[in-house]
Amino acid sequence: MIVGEQKSISEIKGIIAPYKKILIMGCGTCVKTCFAGGEDEVAVLASALRLACKKDGKKIDIEEFTVERQCEDEFIQEGAPAVSRNDGVLSLACGAGVQALARRFVKTPVFPGVNTTFIGVLEKQGVFTEECAGCGDCKLAVFGGICPVTRCAKKLLNGPCGGSQNGKCEINPETDCAWQMIIERLRILGQMNNLRVYIPPKNWRTSLSGGPRKMVREDHMI
Amino acid sequence: MAEHFKPKITLFHCINTFGDAAEIYLTGKDNCELKTVKMPCSSMVKDIFLLRAFEAGADGVIVLVCPEGQCRYIEGNIRAKKRVAWVQNLLDEIGLDGRRLSLTNMAAGDKSTAIQAMDDVLKNLAEMGPNPAV
Repeated sequence: MIVGEQKSISEIKGIIAPYKKILIMGCGTCVKTCFAGGEDEVAVLASALRLACKKDGKKIDIEEFTVERQCEDEFIQEGAPAVSRNDGVLSLACGAGVQALARRFVKTPVFPGVNTTFIGVLEKQGVFTEECAGCGDCKLAVFGGICPVTRCAKKLLNGPCGGSQNGKCEINPETDCAWQMIIERLRILGQMNNLRVYIPPKNWRTSLSGGPRKMVREDHMI
Repeated sequence: MAEHFKPKITLFHCINTFGDAAEIYLTGKDNCELKTVKMPCSSMVKDIFLLRAFEAGADGVIVLVCPEGQCRYIEGNIRAKKRVAWVQNLLDEIGLDGRRLSLTNMAAGDKSTAIQAMDDVLKNLAEMGPNPAV
């Protein structure tokens, strides 16, 4: 999932300051799962902003609306009447959702209420960990399902750096050494020979370094 | 602070720790207006309910939960404690003062702890004054 974190109330207050009517639009997919922008978070933020503005003697109308997925126009359309009733939209979706709204509602200012952080997994309740960098050229088959591009601080593709201690990264002792995990996993899988596979220098053009990416599926286009 | 400030307090409580008899005792106090919200377990106390209590005009909010380790549903009071801490931070950030919200662990029927929690909140409110967002 895409993991995000809600911006601070003070930053959000600054962003919406020039407006009298604001729609807070949540997204019921990734950011809901990481407690940043689902229906509950929309309600809490709206309530907190109403209290904050009242305390400051500022009058503001805040409307709440959450769509199933803010990165798809089909779902965004459901929010069109609410958008038309307001001066601006504070999106609690990831950056893709914010931009999808901006594209759909050209004449309405759209602001981010969430800092989109990474693509990750729910490690345990309340803990989210980055596990994919979206590099566009996945080699997880060789690495036993553990990504050194994301999880090794040095992004090493041909074995460990030698700096880890007790299975922890020398850059951050809180972080597990990705190569320690890869070797342990390959041992369990009986695939230690994978370590002999030479991985040539990575071509980063498939990543964001090659500019914004686009994927086209002709078979789904009409 | 207003001269005749009579604080409005919303009390969220778990029915397993705080029954009707104690509630009647607290509502009998004439130095505040008390509104009570009963819950089958304190884990029901979501962030939004606490904030809405302040939006509805409460000057202070009290959450009464079972002692740790004695929740009928195992971890309800731990969840309540974490949510209260979260909302306290939010209230501080807004400038409403997190001390307006408090959580107290009390054994079933322990009236004196409930009364003490109420007195502590009233003491804090006397210093902080009415809810500035009303």
